[in-house]
Amino acid sequence: MTEVREARAARSDVVIPSVDVSPEQQPTAWRHRHLLDVDGLSAADLDLVMRTADAMREVLGRPISKVPALRGRNVTILFYEASTRTRVSFDVAARNLSADVVNIAAATSSVSKGESLVDTVRTVEALGAHLLVVRHARSGAPQLAAEVFGGSVLNGGDGWHAHPSQALLDLYTIRSRLGTGGDLGVAGRKIVILGDVLHSRVARSNIWSLTAAGADLWLCGPATLLRGFEAWAGRSALAGRRFRVTSDVGAAMRDADVVMALRIQRERMAAGLLPSMREYAARYGLTAARLALARPGALVMHPGPMNEGVEIAPDVAAGGQSVITDQVTNGVAVRMALLYLLAGVTARSVASA
Amino acid sequence: MIDLEISRAWLVDPLAGREGAGEIVVRDGVLAAVNWLEGSAADGIEPTGVVVAPGFIDLHVHLREPGNEDAETVATGLAAAARGGFTTVCAMPNTTPAMDEPGVLARVSSAALASGSPLELLAHGALSAGRAGQTLSAMGELADAGVVGFSDDGSPVRSASLFRHALAYAGALGLPVVEHAEDADLTEGAEMGDGLVATILGLRGWPVAAEASAVARALVVLADVLPDVPGVRLHLTHISTAAALDFVRLAKSRGLPVTCDVTPHHVALTDEWVAGARRYAWDAVDADGHARDPWADHALVAQPYATSLRVNPPLRCAEDALACLAALRDGTADAIATDHAPHTEVDKAVEFGAAANGIAGIETALGLILEAVDAGRLSLLQAMTALTTGPAGVLGQRTRRAGAVGLVEGSKADLVVFDRSDRWTVTTAALATKGTHSPLLGMTLPGRVLLTVADGALAYEAAAD
Repeated sequence: MTEVREARAARSDVVIPSVDVSPEQQPTAWRHRHLLDVDGLSAADLDLVMRTADAMREVLGRPISKVPALRGRNVTILFYEASTRTRVSFDVAARNLSADVVNIAAATSSVSKGESLVDTVRTVEALGAHLLVVRHARSGAPQLAAEVFGGSVLNGGDGWHAHPSQALLDLYTIRSRLGTGGDLGVAGRKIVILGDVLHSRVARSNIWSLTAAGADLWLCGPATLLRGFEAWAGRSALAGRRFRVTSDVGAAMRDADVVMALRIQRERMAAGLLPSMREYAARYGLTAARLALARPGALVMHPGPMNEGVEIAPDVAAGGQSVITDQVTNGVAVRMALLYLLAGVTARSVASA
Repeated sequence: MIDLEISRAWLVDPLAGREGAGEIVVRDGVLAAVNWLEGSAADGIEPTGVVVAPGFIDLHVHLREPGNEDAETVATGLAAAARGGFTTVCAMPNTTPAMDEPGVLARVSSAALASGSPLELLAHGALSAGRAGQTLSAMGELADAGVVGFSDDGSPVRSASLFRHALAYAGALGLPVVEHAEDADLTEGAEMGDGLVATILGLRGWPVAAEASAVARALVVLADVLPDVPGVRLHLTHISTAAALDFVRLAKSRGLPVTCDVTPHHVALTDEWVAGARRYAWDAVDADGHARDPWADHALVAQPYATSLRVNPPLRCAEDALACLAALRDGTADAIATDHAPHTEVDKAVEFGAAANGIAGIETALGLILEAVDAGRLSLLQAMTALTTGPAGVLGQRTRRAGAVGLVEGSKADLVVFDRSDRWTVTTAALATKGTHSPLLGMTLPGRVLLTVADGALAYEAAAD
């Protein structure tokens, strides 16, 4: 363990927060009170999250993977949509930082009695919440929560709009495999997001973070699930953020360094967007044959939950190129980093008020 | 009845197609004299100062009474209209219960009388019984009771067959069908205008095709009815897309009896406001007239997802907004109507996708249109025409001012006085409507209304500072 810590310290050229103490005791460069989207994060912000997550990885490697940094701080996890992975990941992350954690699932709360989001947020604040993690089926809901909440809001996924913690853990996972030294390992790499881009908050958030990091980003899927993205790519290119949009899965896969498959939902058939799951699997599923078009050793990612045999073949999901379980582990470290950085801002703004 | 003298102002008379320096005299509620000043007498009187124009006519307002008096009442709606410079408003029938028979209309008319407002309150009757889109409303009885058109506004008529019957039946009564053109299949679950901003914000897009295809359908059905019912009339309300306006332009060139209106918010605001931009449509395009990218421009200055911007039809891209302006210039659009749609705080302080549709804009309409005038996108005369003689033409003889929506000596005084050089700040306290969810709160607008006179009586007077 000591060796790992020394190795990381040696290559550090910025101040990494010492995560064993509470965040307000040390100034960091983090300035965002809320994390609602990734479009507002600078390269320096991304770097700080990555390095703080490194420190959290080190904590996770300890025999007792718990630090007192957020002792006495209340993290409320308010989920209006079903979720296992993200909710538990935030829960574990907050507990590892010694925060008090309150979980609220909309189905078992006053929300099912018709309480508005605004009233619910005011209530959890009155009950002592300092950090609020919100997951909601409607795009922009965490923004509304942030407008009424006195602490920090962390977007746990809203509608089709954004899933910042997922995009950051994806970036962290790519960096941990392809990065060298202080480099993210993303610049110039061909990264493919494959599947239901239209309904995906993961895809949207990754567009911002991966184009900012200089990836050769490709979005691939059936034309019905790419509506609007060609226009976005055209406008984005004028602003220096480039990505490509195609329904040609062969062209997308060729020489890819990273392939990220997205979940396909059965509702898409009922809505007339796709003929069948079978046809989707045949034409767009991430199979070993398609993966063979990519560079040798290309990384396979999936934000989960997976439909194995539909958007990803079971042998690919469990194969040697898959970093899907790394994504889950890294998710805890990245969420610890985000909670830690946001808590520092809130603590300082309260202290200076 | 009011006595009034306004000397040294800029007079705009859309009826005569004339504007210039002048003065007016009102005696006992009658416009006794309109004197146009020439030569040195006109020195120093600019069109950018105090303007006198006929009172505005709004073809499309929601007064929410009966049924939703928390959001607006006839009294507060008329007070808001007067503050905005309007002296005639046409209420939409989507009340609870719907205005699909004369009893509801009588109730609204008595509320107007009780309010003491001198404004003229007109109403569109529902097109279908209960606005359910299945069978015709009591059209003949509603016509006898004085409605000025028939509309299921807010719930577009899905059945082309019912729509055809409504056009014919209303046409024989001498009344227009006022259609909210929207293909509801294409807009199911839609949250904002389709396009770059919707894609980035992850909101379900309301495609241009939903409006354009509904307009095309309405126009070909109109052509189908015309040979049998020469009096048939179609008015398309709150048209918001270049594609739909192209169809209207074509139909007018073929001589079809169609008119249309556009709203101030579709002219001046765009979809990028939902992302947090606060620049007008004409400032959001590049040299070729294409919408710019507000993210790349660092133009996002306000919080995104403001539900005050949720409206149906949705705010569109800048190209569509500029097409609405072009339609006002070339006469494709006959009128500016506000679609004043107040809601309660409860219905707006929710997630964007769950918020009620509507902008309560009757008090900010003039300011937004004057911003377009100041930007050189519309002449003052064109703007005043679209607020007065334009909508009067749609109403024909059914407004009390029939045929005389101008500065006509000897007529009852019905006019608005505003100061283009006097900018005012939009605040909840400055608004008379109950629907204070304006997207313009905190912004300043030109053209403070100083005085509104309706039917010879004072309807509104700005408080002295």
